[in-house]
Amino acid sequence: MQFKGTRTYTGKEMEDTIARTGGYSNALTSPDWTTYFHTLPNSALEIALRFESDRMINSLYEPEEVETERTVILSEREGNENDPQFLLAEAVQLASFSQHPYRNEVLGSTEDLLSLTRDDLYNHYRNYYQPSNALLCLAGSFDVDSTLALIKQYFEPIENREPIRSIPTPENEIISAQSVELQGPDEADYIHITWRSPQANNPEFFAYTLIESILSGPSSLSMFGSGGIGNRSSRFYRELVENQMVASVYGSLSASIDPGTFSLNLTCRGDHSPEEVIERIDQVVDQFLTHGPTTEELTIALKQARANFAYSSDNITNQAFWLGYAHSFADYNWFTDYVKRLEQVSTEDILRVARLYLDPAHRVTGVYRNREMFANG
Amino acid sequence: MANSSPITARLPGSDSIFRKTLPNSGTFLAYPNPTSPAVYFRGYLPVGSLSDPEGKNGLSNLHAAMLSTGTQKHEFRQLHTLIESCGASISISSGYLSTVFSGQCLKEDLPLILGILLEMLSQPTFPQAHFERLQQQLATIFKIQLQDTEEMASQAFDRLYYRGHPYAHPEIGYPHTVPAITREDLQTFHTETFGPNGLVVAFAGGMDSEKTADLFEQVFSSWSVPHQKVQADLPSWQPHGEALREHIVIPEKSQSDLIIGTSAPTGMRGDYQVCALGNSILGQFGMMGRIGESVRERSGLAYYAGSSLEVGLGPSCWKVTAGVNPDNLEKAMGKIKEELKRFINEPVTQEELSDVKEQALGHVPLSLESNVGIVRFLLSLQRFELSLDYLRELPAILEAVSAEDILASAQKHWELDRLVITSAGRAL
Repeated sequence: MQFKGTRTYTGKEMEDTIARTGGYSNALTSPDWTTYFHTLPNSALEIALRFESDRMINSLYEPEEVETERTVILSEREGNENDPQFLLAEAVQLASFSQHPYRNEVLGSTEDLLSLTRDDLYNHYRNYYQPSNALLCLAGSFDVDSTLALIKQYFEPIENREPIRSIPTPENEIISAQSVELQGPDEADYIHITWRSPQANNPEFFAYTLIESILSGPSSLSMFGSGGIGNRSSRFYRELVENQMVASVYGSLSASIDPGTFSLNLTCRGDHSPEEVIERIDQVVDQFLTHGPTTEELTIALKQARANFAYSSDNITNQAFWLGYAHSFADYNWFTDYVKRLEQVSTEDILRVARLYLDPAHRVTGVYRNREMFANG
Repeated sequence: MANSSPITARLPGSDSIFRKTLPNSGTFLAYPNPTSPAVYFRGYLPVGSLSDPEGKNGLSNLHAAMLSTGTQKHEFRQLHTLIESCGASISISSGYLSTVFSGQCLKEDLPLILGILLEMLSQPTFPQAHFERLQQQLATIFKIQLQDTEEMASQAFDRLYYRGHPYAHPEIGYPHTVPAITREDLQTFHTETFGPNGLVVAFAGGMDSEKTADLFEQVFSSWSVPHQKVQADLPSWQPHGEALREHIVIPEKSQSDLIIGTSAPTGMRGDYQVCALGNSILGQFGMMGRIGESVRERSGLAYYAGSSLEVGLGPSCWKVTAGVNPDNLEKAMGKIKEELKRFINEPVTQEELSDVKEQALGHVPLSLESNVGIVRFLLSLQRFELSLDYLRELPAILEAVSAEDILASAQKHWELDRLVITSAGRAL
C-alpha cells in the first residue's frame, strides 16, 4: 500500500518518476524490518529523498486501493503455494517457534490477507513509520555535506512519535523435537529441517556461520548482485548428493535480531526414503559434534567468508543494504568486522556452539511426500 | 553520430574496452573496475544443444554438467575443494547455440581458477558414478517440472511457437531422450565438437586487462582441437501462420501461468531498439507498463503481469506473461488483449515515448555498476556484433525512434489473429 499513493503523489507518479531516471525502486519485508530502496543516478538522489519522506507520513491507504492490492497479494501467495517447498518451509517455520512472530510467514496467511481491514493497515503504518523508527542509508557517489542538508530538509519537519511496540519474547531453543508432514501431488519428496540459531549480535553467531559453511556451504552476503560460492565441498553435499541420496541440499542461516533458525532444504530423488536421508543427516551431524571441524575445513571456511565479503561490495545497492541490515541487529561495525570476528573463532568455539544448537532433540523435521508414495506407504 | 556529452564520454567505449583476438578465432574482452577486489568472467564456446543428435535431446546440457565432475588431474572432490577453498565459483551450462562458462574469484586467485577452468573444459573424464548421479538428478528435475506451471506453460509455448525448429525442444532434453544418452555419446560429443575455436570470454573487476589477456592466452594456449567440427547453422524458420492455443492441466495448483507471444526481431538489428522501447511501454515501465497497470494495478488480477522482448541469435519472440488465479485466467487474457489492440491501433503518446527513452539512457550507467553487469554488456557487444562505442551511440539511436516507428513495429509483430497462447494450471 506504500506504493499506492500519498496526499502529494499518485503511486504511478512515483513509479514513473523513478523509472524515468533509469533507476529502480522496490521494498522488501523481513521478519525484523521493512526496507524501501532506490538505486538511481546520483543526480536523481533528491527524488528518492522527497518520495521517502512523503511516504513516511502522507500515504493514503484508499479503501478501493486496499481491495485491489488484497487480490494482488493473494495472487502472490497463490503463486508461492504452487511450490511445495514454500508450503513445507511455512509449516516448519510455524512449528519452530511457539509464540515468537518469526513463526509467521512474512507474506501472511490467506485467512489474514482476507480479513485485514484498511484500518488495520493504516494504524500499523501510522504507528511504525516514524523518523525515530527509521534508518536512512546511502552508498555511492555523493557529496556528504550537501546530501545531509537535503536529508534534513526533507525529514526534519516530520513530527516524530515513538511507536507503540510489542516486544516479542525471544525463544532461545526449540523445546522438543517436532515433525511436520505434508503431502501433495508433486512427484518429488522434500525435506526441510530447522535448528535454532543465535541472534546475530550473539558472539556464538560467528561460530555458527562457520558451522553452516562447513556443513552445507556458505550463505551469500549478496542480497543484490552476483551469487556466492558453491557447496560441493561441504559435508552434507558430499554425504547426500555425491553419495546419490538426494538431488540437492542447501542450508540457510540468516542474521536476525532474536534467535532464529538454521535450515536445511533437500530435494529427494525417489530412490531413498526421507527417513533414510534424515538418518544420514543425523550421522553427519553426529560425526561433526563428536570430532569437530578439521583445520583444513576451518581454513577453507574463512577464505570463503573473505571472498563472500569481497563479492558483497560489488555493487552500491548491496553496500547500502548492509549498512542498514547490520544496524537492525547490531551496528555497521558488525559488518566491517565480520571477517575479523570469524578469524577469532576457535575449533573449541565451533564444537561448543554446534553441540548447543544442533541437537536432534531440539529441531523441527518437515517432510513433503508425493501423494502416491504416501498412499503406498 | 556518437553523443559526446560528459556522461556518455565516461561510458565504456573503444578507448577503454580492451579487446583482443585470440588464436582459434577467439575473442578476449575486458573492462577494469579498479575498486573491486574480485574478478568476474563469463564466456562461451559455439557449441550447444543445436548439436544434439536425433533422439538424444539434452546431450549438450548433460555434457556441460559433466564437465564439472572430474578432470584428468583432479577427481570431483579435489576439483571442488580446490575451487571452493579459495572462495571461488565456476559454472558451466549449455544453451541452444553455445556452452557458457562463468566464474568469480578474488583477483589473486585468478591464475589458479583459469587453470582449473581449462582442465574442466579440455580434460574431463566423465566419471561413471557422476554420470549415473546426474542422470538420476535429471529424472528428478523432469518430475518436478511436470508440477511447475511456469515451466510447463513455457515449454508448451516453445513447442508451439518454434515448431519445426530446434528451439522447440527444451535444452535439458526429455524424460525419454536423456536416459538414452551414454557416456560414450558424451565422449564422442566432446572429442568431435568441443574445442576452443570461436571462444569468447569477457572479464571485469580489479584485474589489469592486458595482463589478464596474457594470462588467459598463456593458460589456454595448450588447448587445441585441430579437427573440431563446426556447429551447423541454425535452420531457417518462419513464424506460424495461425493462432495457436494450448492449456496444460496441472491439478490442485493455486495459480495458473499464462504466456501470449508473437515474433520479435533477430538479434539487435533491424527494428530491435524500436521494439525494445515499445516493449517497455507495453509491459515494463514503472509497474510493468500498460499491461501491469491494467491487469495488476487497476484490476488486481495478478501479482505479475508484464512483457518481455527476447534477444538472441536466430528466431526470437515477444511475450506477455502473467501469473493469475485460475478463475481469472480468461479475464486477465481479455485485459491483455485489450492492451495489445490499443498497442497496434494507436501510437504511443509522446510522454510515454519520452519516459522510456529517458529510462533506457538513465539505466546504462546503473547496469554497469557491478562486474556482472559489465561482463554482460561486453558479451552482448560481441554476440550481436555491436560497435565498441555502442553505448555512446545509443542516445542518437534512441532519439531517432518515433511513436510512428513503434506503431509500425507493433503492427508488424503483433498480429492478433496469429497469437500463440499457452497456459498451465487447473483445468479450464
